[in-house]
Amino acid sequence: MRQTLLIPSLVLFIVGSICFYISTPHRQGANAINFCEAGQIHTLDPDKMTWVQDIRVATGLWEGLAQLDPKTLQPIPGVAKSWKISHHGLRYTFYLRRKARWSNGQSVTTADFLFAWKRILQPSTAGGYVTMLFHIAGAKAYFNSLAAGRHPTFSSVGIYAPTPYKLVVTLTHPCAYFLSLMSFPPFFPLNPRTMARFRSHTPGLASGHYDPRWTRPPYLVSDGPYRLAAWKFHQYLELRPNKYYWDRQAVKCPGLYVRNFPDSQSAFLAYQSGAVDVLSFVPTRFAPALLRQQRQHLRDDVHYRQVFGSYYYNINCRHKPLNNPLIRRALDMAIDKRAIVKDILRLPDRTLKVLVPPNSIDGYVSPHGLAMNIPAARKLLIRAGYPGGRGLPVFKFLTNSGAAINVRIAQAVAEMWRHNLGVHVSIHQEESKIFNQDVVQGNYDIARAGWYGDYMDPTTWLDLFRTGNPNNLTGFSNPRLDMLLHDASRQADVAQRFALLHEAEKLLVTRWMPSLPLFQYSDGLMYNPRRIGGISTNVRMITLFKYIHRIHRAVPQAAEAVP
Amino acid sequence: MKKFIFSRLLQSVVVVWLVYTVTFWLLMATPGDPFIGRKQPPPAVLAALRQRYDLNQGDFHAYLAYGWRIIAHGDFGPTISYANWTVLDVIRNSLPVSVALGALALLIALWLGVAAGLLGAVYRGRWPDVALAVGTLLGISLPTFVIGSGLLMLFAVETSLLPSGGWGSFEQLILPACTLSVLFLAYLARLSRASTLDVISSDFVRTARAKGLSPLKVIAGHVLPNASIAVLAFLGPATASVLTGSFIVEKIFAIPGLGEVFVNACLDKDIPLVLGIVLVYTVLLVLMNLLVDIACALADPRIRL
Repeated sequence: MRQTLLIPSLVLFIVGSICFYISTPHRQGANAINFCEAGQIHTLDPDKMTWVQDIRVATGLWEGLAQLDPKTLQPIPGVAKSWKISHHGLRYTFYLRRKARWSNGQSVTTADFLFAWKRILQPSTAGGYVTMLFHIAGAKAYFNSLAAGRHPTFSSVGIYAPTPYKLVVTLTHPCAYFLSLMSFPPFFPLNPRTMARFRSHTPGLASGHYDPRWTRPPYLVSDGPYRLAAWKFHQYLELRPNKYYWDRQAVKCPGLYVRNFPDSQSAFLAYQSGAVDVLSFVPTRFAPALLRQQRQHLRDDVHYRQVFGSYYYNINCRHKPLNNPLIRRALDMAIDKRAIVKDILRLPDRTLKVLVPPNSIDGYVSPHGLAMNIPAARKLLIRAGYPGGRGLPVFKFLTNSGAAINVRIAQAVAEMWRHNLGVHVSIHQEESKIFNQDVVQGNYDIARAGWYGDYMDPTTWLDLFRTGNPNNLTGFSNPRLDMLLHDASRQADVAQRFALLHEAEKLLVTRWMPSLPLFQYSDGLMYNPRRIGGISTNVRMITLFKYIHRIHRAVPQAAEAVP
Repeated sequence: MKKFIFSRLLQSVVVVWLVYTVTFWLLMATPGDPFIGRKQPPPAVLAALRQRYDLNQGDFHAYLAYGWRIIAHGDFGPTISYANWTVLDVIRNSLPVSVALGALALLIALWLGVAAGLLGAVYRGRWPDVALAVGTLLGISLPTFVIGSGLLMLFAVETSLLPSGGWGSFEQLILPACTLSVLFLAYLARLSRASTLDVISSDFVRTARAKGLSPLKVIAGHVLPNASIAVLAFLGPATASVLTGSFIVEKIFAIPGLGEVFVNACLDKDIPLVLGIVLVYTVLLVLMNLLVDIACALADPRIRL
């Protein structure tokens, strides 16, 4: 009878100890760097990734034909040691370096690229960024006829490998940024020899399907600066230098732990205590205070950079009365964007009057957008037939409830419209899954939006308004815009192409206004610049893991003792 | 006994099936599409995704397909939000974390709670009893996030005695386990106080006293074993609920347990993952209750099964 308490206690103790033992990580090596991401790693399959943190890890694990220069983000030789571009910009010939190796020691050859590109072009692979391969001649037709259930041959696609070290790619039209795509995950090579054992033969699933366990250690084989040493679900990924990497001496970090915390506050506490070396975000709640301390020279570890991303409002152009561009322009001109950035956000973000963040792309000149002008906005409403906002319905203004800041900005804008124009909106907050569905189905009048450019070209934004693009959420359709975008895609001359795109953007932000740009995102990072080096600041938020390292001071033993 | 266990197991199967059905249709009734994100893939890719998750042939087909896979293969399939991990992978990795934390929390709650309840009963009406009443009231009514944040401020931020969170060392376990134990501790203290009072006033205790046993021996030898049967009955459901993780405690202390995964799975409408976690929780709950019933019968011969 005495055991009534003892037995359960003993059971709890034993079960608890076993569970604790199997769930705890092993000890990490000295000098390893702890990098904290803002979100979970969703997938390490380069063909399927769309999240920024997944892409960041992938660029550390893999290397494409080109890699990015850490400063300029221009493509520089990666697996390909050189390339030739035909004079009309349609044919790319890549020469692979013979020293390029997988993390298991095997050579990287053109077959690995063919395998990977063929795999992502299978609809059953469900590659989120498959459309990026549609620049390649025949790729889109191949994908579509597979999706329609036919059996086209891969030789119809403009990819051809005469030798294991020479790859020829033919494009449908000149693409100014095609080389920089070579450093983007959908174009990374995959090792068919190590993936073969994971190939699924389940009836019903098409042959492009692989058991997702191939992305987990010890099975994952990659060809970049690091190899995946460990991946503990919801805890961390451990990257260790790939000893076969051709540029091994450039990799100075002996081990990199990519972590994630469920809450930005606990991540910040971990950073404060030294458990995390680099925080890939600045917690929004503390950001204004941290920035103030930085201005007073009390700290030097907050690093902000303007990024190639923007915050804007989509307007549903499908229905009356918002299909009238006069009203959309009036709505834009009545917003005090400066007040939003200065008083609500209180971050180093910049107000935006155009769609493509200015000064991000070499050679591209942004048009002038509309300035805030309340009298002119009122006149536009009169011209549209709604003087003082009379006769307009109450607009359904959708925002996602993930971050409190979205709602506060929406409330401020709603008040500006009410006060300046007499336009009324009702704000609806929705969970992001429901929000996304409502926006895709066009179930809104005005909706919050954010977009990060996928490649350094204006079309990553301007294409959002092309007729028929699945990402065209506003339902905007204009033959002149489609024509300009089409002409630009056929234009090999960079300056003339940018002139066409400039014209398209100018019309979008001064006449058609399907979206109201608010501000350009800035992205914060936290790390001690005297202890961590090699973090490049660039507009695409890509921290290249290859160059990250710990800075050792003159007296290392003293330095290590400091918490 | 055998007949009892058999019929209970049979009932359990029905309960699990009911829970599966209700969860599935509730999930289907919630708005939102798990595959629609901020960037839209081509329709063929969306179709391939829906096919992979058996969601392309209507809800009832998915209901049968998921159910059949669970029964026939013991497999919940792949998750939607963590594409490289199956539901079983996720549970296998996250459940031990929640179990380790929950086990420590329950141990603390069990011993401190029973001790406090005994004290309250023995010193009935005097100051330890009043302190116990106030303490348990606070423990039951204070929300976890207040207790957790308070402990965090006190021991991690202000004094740096203990780490602020994370997973890997025993020190990191102390604050979250204490936070998680408070509620159970308070319940157990009340429960054991009440049952101790019951036992103390019974005849056999008076007899024990009359034959000259010391007060300590009376409590340890006669009162505690009989009073803890009630505690044992409470332990079943408490174990199941504490083992499957607490979202708030895991969030405050950055613990990679099942609670956080579950809440995010609901928000992401990750149908296979939600189903998997709910079913594991159900099975745990049913099993724990069964175990406790058997344990109670063994501890108290008056209980007939």
